[in-house]
Amino acid sequence: MLQHFDPNKDYGTPASLSEKLVTLEIDGVEISVPEGTSVMRAAALADINIPKLCATDNLESFGSCRICAVQIEGRRGTPASCTTPAEAGMKVTTQNEKLAKLRRNIMELYISDHPLDCLTCPANGDCELQDMAGAVGLREVRYGFDGENHLDAPKDTSNPYFTFDASKCIVCSRCVRACSEVQGTFALTIDGRGFDSKVAAGQNEDFLDSECVSCGACVQACPTATLMENSVIEMGQPEHSVVTTCAYCGVGCSFKAEMKGDQVVRMVPYKGGEANHGHSCVKGRFAFGYATHKDRIRAPMIRDSIDQPWKEVSWEEAIGFAARRLKEIQAEHGRESIGGITSSRCTNEETYLVQKLIRAGFGNNNTDTCARVCHSPTGYGLKQTLGESAGTQTFDSVMQSDCVLVIGANPTDAHPVFGSLMRRRLREGASLIVADPRHIDLLDTPHLNDSMHLPLRPGTNVALVNALAHVVVTEGLEDKEFIASRCEGDAYSKWRDFISDERHSPEHMEAVTGVAAADIRQAARTYATAGNAAIYYGLGVTEHSQGSTMVMGIANLALATGNIGREGVGVNPLRGQNNVQGSCDMGSFPHELPGYQHVADPVARGRFEAVWGVEIDHEPGLRIPNMFDAAIAGQFRAMYVQGEDIAQSDPNTQHVEQALRALDCLIVQDIFLNETAKFAHVLLPGSTFLEKNGTFTNAERRINRVRKVMPPIAGKEDWEVTVELSNALGYPMNYSHPSEIMDEIASLTPSFKNVSYEKLEQEGSLQWPCNDEHPVGSPIMHVENFPIGDGKAHFAITEFVATTERSSRRYPLLLTTGRILSQYNVGAQTRRTDNQAWHDEDILEVHPHDAEERGIKDGDWLGISSRAGHTVLRALVSERMQPGVVYTTFHHPHSGANVITTDNSDWATNCPEYKVTAVQVEKVTQPSEWQKNFHDNHERQQSFLKEAAAAAAEAQ
Amino acid sequence: MSQSEMDRLVQMINQIAINNISAGDENAVAEMIAGHVQKFWSRRMKQMLGEYTEQGGEELHPAAKLAAEKLLSQAA
Ligand code: SF4
Ligand code: SF4
Ligand code: SF4
Ligand code: FES
Repeated sequence: MLQHFDPNKDYGTPASLSEKLVTLEIDGVEISVPEGTSVMRAAALADINIPKLCATDNLESFGSCRICAVQIEGRRGTPASCTTPAEAGMKVTTQNEKLAKLRRNIMELYISDHPLDCLTCPANGDCELQDMAGAVGLREVRYGFDGENHLDAPKDTSNPYFTFDASKCIVCSRCVRACSEVQGTFALTIDGRGFDSKVAAGQNEDFLDSECVSCGACVQACPTATLMENSVIEMGQPEHSVVTTCAYCGVGCSFKAEMKGDQVVRMVPYKGGEANHGHSCVKGRFAFGYATHKDRIRAPMIRDSIDQPWKEVSWEEAIGFAARRLKEIQAEHGRESIGGITSSRCTNEETYLVQKLIRAGFGNNNTDTCARVCHSPTGYGLKQTLGESAGTQTFDSVMQSDCVLVIGANPTDAHPVFGSLMRRRLREGASLIVADPRHIDLLDTPHLNDSMHLPLRPGTNVALVNALAHVVVTEGLEDKEFIASRCEGDAYSKWRDFISDERHSPEHMEAVTGVAAADIRQAARTYATAGNAAIYYGLGVTEHSQGSTMVMGIANLALATGNIGREGVGVNPLRGQNNVQGSCDMGSFPHELPGYQHVADPVARGRFEAVWGVEIDHEPGLRIPNMFDAAIAGQFRAMYVQGEDIAQSDPNTQHVEQALRALDCLIVQDIFLNETAKFAHVLLPGSTFLEKNGTFTNAERRINRVRKVMPPIAGKEDWEVTVELSNALGYPMNYSHPSEIMDEIASLTPSFKNVSYEKLEQEGSLQWPCNDEHPVGSPIMHVENFPIGDGKAHFAITEFVATTERSSRRYPLLLTTGRILSQYNVGAQTRRTDNQAWHDEDILEVHPHDAEERGIKDGDWLGISSRAGHTVLRALVSERMQPGVVYTTFHHPHSGANVITTDNSDWATNCPEYKVTAVQVEKVTQPSEWQKNFHDNHERQQSFLKEAAAAAAEAQ
Repeated sequence: MSQSEMDRLVQMINQIAINNISAGDENAVAEMIAGHVQKFWSRRMKQMLGEYTEQGGEELHPAAKLAAEKLLSQAA
C-alpha cells in the first residue's frame, strides 16, 4: 500500500503537521523533517532506531524511562530523544559507549523488578521490554530479587477480554496516556509515588467496574505483558496477519486480523486505517467470537411450511428448491409478486448482486434494504438540498471544527472511535452543542470546554432546527457571500421568507420543543459565528415522521451559515451499520439503480440494460413496509432476504410477523437462525466478514477492503450464493471474484468510475466520488459546486408538522429508543460474545418523577403499552431524560421493543418513527402475551433446527 | 386490494401533502405531491390510488386529491 510512512512501524512520537522543514544530522546521516518532529522520530524516519520504552507514536512523548537518551553536539548531558525536538543544524549521536552503559543501567533496574519468566510469558516474541533488553545488550542483573519488589502483585481478570498482570508493569504510563489521549475516557491513573506507584483503574476498582469501556487502547499501548489479550494468553502469538475492515458500525475501522492458521488470535486496530488511525472500540477489537459460535448455520435447510422441522440438504438442492418456488409463484401470481432485501452488513459487491438479481432475474424493482429503517431520509434530504445522498466530510475534518453540533446522535456509544476523535477536539477547545432528548455521555467529556444541551421533546426536531435558522436569518448571521455564490437564488428567497416568519421564532417554538428560547438563540449564535461549525446527526434525526424534513432543515442551516465545502464544517450523518452508505450507493432502493440513478431515467437504465442484457422495469418497486402490506393483502408472496433481521428490526412486530406468515416462500440467508428465519422456508448459511472478500463503504464515503482470513464455515461466500440462485433462476451470472463485480459497478456508476481492487490496494482506501475529475477520490464534498441542477445548492421549505404520535391520557409518556456501546443493533453478533458482560438485557429508563408517580423502583418489572402492542422490561430510574420521556434499547429480541413501536413513518421515505411512541408504563408481575408466544415459538423453531441436525448426523 | 393497504396509501399521500403545504399555492403543492408519488411509488400503488380517486377519493387531503387527479390525467 502506498503510505507516506510504514503503518507497521512505531516511530516513537506522533508526526508533526508543520510544513516547515528542518535539516539535522543523526549518526552522520542528514535528514529533513517537519519542524516539531522529535529527534527520536527523525531518527526512525532515517531508519535509525533509538531504544524506547515509554514512547509510542500514537501518544505524546512523556520522557519518563530515559532509555532513549542521546548526545547532541554542543549540549550538556544526555537528553531524551523522544522529548527533544529536532532543530536545524543539530548533530545527534545515538550510539556510543557512554550511552550504551547508561541504557544498560536503566534496563537493569527495570529487569530487577520484573519476573524472568520470558519463555512462558504470553508476550514472548512480542515484548518491547524483551526487545530493549536485547537492544541494549543487557547481560547481567546485579540487584537480585531479594529486596522489595512487585513480583507477586495480583492479577485483574475482571475484563472478559484482557488481563492486567501488575507484576509485569514497568509503570511507563503508556496505558494511562492511551486511555486519556486516544480513547478520552480517563479511566486509568498512576496511583502513588516512586516505588509504590502503580496503575489503577477508576477509584482503585476492577477494570470491569471502572469507567473503562474496554476499547483496548491501553492493551495495545502496553510494551509488556502487563495488559494482554486473553486470546493471546490462551492461544499464543499469531504468525501472520491480514488487513481488513470492521463489520460493526459505520466508522469502518481498519484492523489487522492476527492469525494462527485460519484462527483469529486477535484483532488489532491498524494504524494505516484512514478512518481510525489505529484506534478501536470493544466491538471491533474484541467481539469477533460470534464468527465461530456454535449457533452458526452450517448447512442449507429447507421445509415446506414453517410449522415443520427443517431438513438439512445440499447447496444444490436448497438453491434448486428456492428457484423452483420463486418461479412457480411468479407463474401463478405475476412478475411483481416476489422481491428481496439487501443487507447493510454485507459487502458492496453482495448488495449489488442482490439488487441485480431482483431487477434482472426477478424482473421487477421490489428491492429494498434495512437502510429504509434508518437512513433513508438522509438519502432523500441531502439529495434534495445538496445534490448527493452522502455526508460531506472525512472523520478527520472534526479536528478543524470550532463548534460541533450533535443532533440525535450518541457517538461515544454508537460510533465510538469517531466519538473519541470528537472528544479529542472538544478537549482542545471546540464548543459543543447537543440537541437530544437524553443527556448523552458526550456532554460528560472530561476536560470539556464550552457546552450546551438542548433537551428537546421527542418529535420536535424540525421545530428546533427552524428556530435555529430563524435566529440566523433574523439576527443577520447569514453568510451572504456564500449564499449569493453557491446557492440557487429563487429557492433561497422563498426559504428566507418562510423561515423569517415569527411562527418559527424560538419564543414561539418554546412551548413545542420544551427548550428555552434564550438557549436556542445562544446555540444559533455559537454555531453561526464559530468559524468552522460542523453538524453530526444520527437516527434521532431520521427515525421520525419528519425525518426527511429534518435532514433538509440541517442542510439549510449549514448553507445559510456557509458551513459547507471545506475542512471542519459540513453535514455529517453518522451511519448505523457498517455498510449503510454502501447498500444505498449500490442501488438497494426500489426507485434507484446503483449510484442513485432513477429507474425512470432512460439513459441510465439503458446503460444497465446494455450490460445486464435484460429490460429493466421503469417503475419503482415496493418499499419494505409496502411489501408487508401487500403480503398481508395476498399480492406479495415470496422474498429473498440476505443478512437482515426484519422481524426484529422493523417496527410493529406483530404486523411484520403477520406479513411474514402470509408469504408462500421466504428465503433467508444469514449466519444465525435469526428472528426472520423462524418464518422461513429456505435457510441458506451466510458468511461473516472474516470469511469473504469485498468492500464496505463507511459514513465518510470511504471504500475499504474486506479481506478473507478464513474459509466460509458452510463453504460459500454470500455473493456466491446469490450467483447460484440467479443461475438456477435462469438469469446467468458469472463472476470468479468480487473484484470483477466491482469492475462492473465502476463501469455503470459514474461516482465509482475509477474504483478498482487494484487501486484500493495502491491507495489503501478511496472516498467516492472517484472518477476522472477526482482520480484518487474526494475527501471533502461540494468544494466548488453542488451536483444538482446548475451546480447550486437548494434551500428547502421545512414546515413543522407535529407527529400524530402524541402523549394522551391513555398513553401519557413518550418512549424513545437508542443504542449502547457494547451491543450492536439487534445484537445477533454481540449477544454471542462476552460483550454480554456489559449489557445482558434491555431496560427501560424512567425519570424519577414518573417513577415516583407510579411507585416504580430500580429492577421492577414494567408493562409498557402503546397502541401497537404490549411488552415487559425491567426498570432503571434515571435522570438522563426529561420527565414524561422513557427510553430503551432494542438489542435483545425477547424484549420486544418493536412490539410497541408503531407503523408511523417518515412522509418522504417511510423510515419508521422509532424515536417517538406514546406509551403507558405500569408495574406488572409477568411477561407479556407476545413475550410468552415469542418464547414458545423460539423453543419450537430451535427444536426444528436440532431435529434437522440430528437427522443429518444419522444419515451420515 | 385490502382495506388496510388502501388506508395506508391514503395516509401516506396525505402526509406528503401536509408536509409540503408551504411549497406554494394549492396547484404548486399538488405538483410537488404528484412528482413525489410518480418518483417513489410502485406501479400497483399508483393504480390503487387512481382507482380510489376515481371512486371519489373521499379521505384524500384536497391537495393530495388534486395531485392524484393530475397523475390520472397524465396516465390517460
Ligand atoms: S480498555 Fe480503553 S477505556 Fe479501558 S482502560 Fe484501557 S484504554 Fe481506557
Ligand atoms: S500496564 Fe503496561 S503500559 Fe501501563 S504502565 Fe504498566 S507496563 Fe506501562
Ligand atoms: S468504532 Fe465501529 S468500526 Fe470501529 S471498531 Fe468500533 S464498531 Fe468497529
Ligand atoms: S522513550 Fe524517551 S524517555 Fe522513554
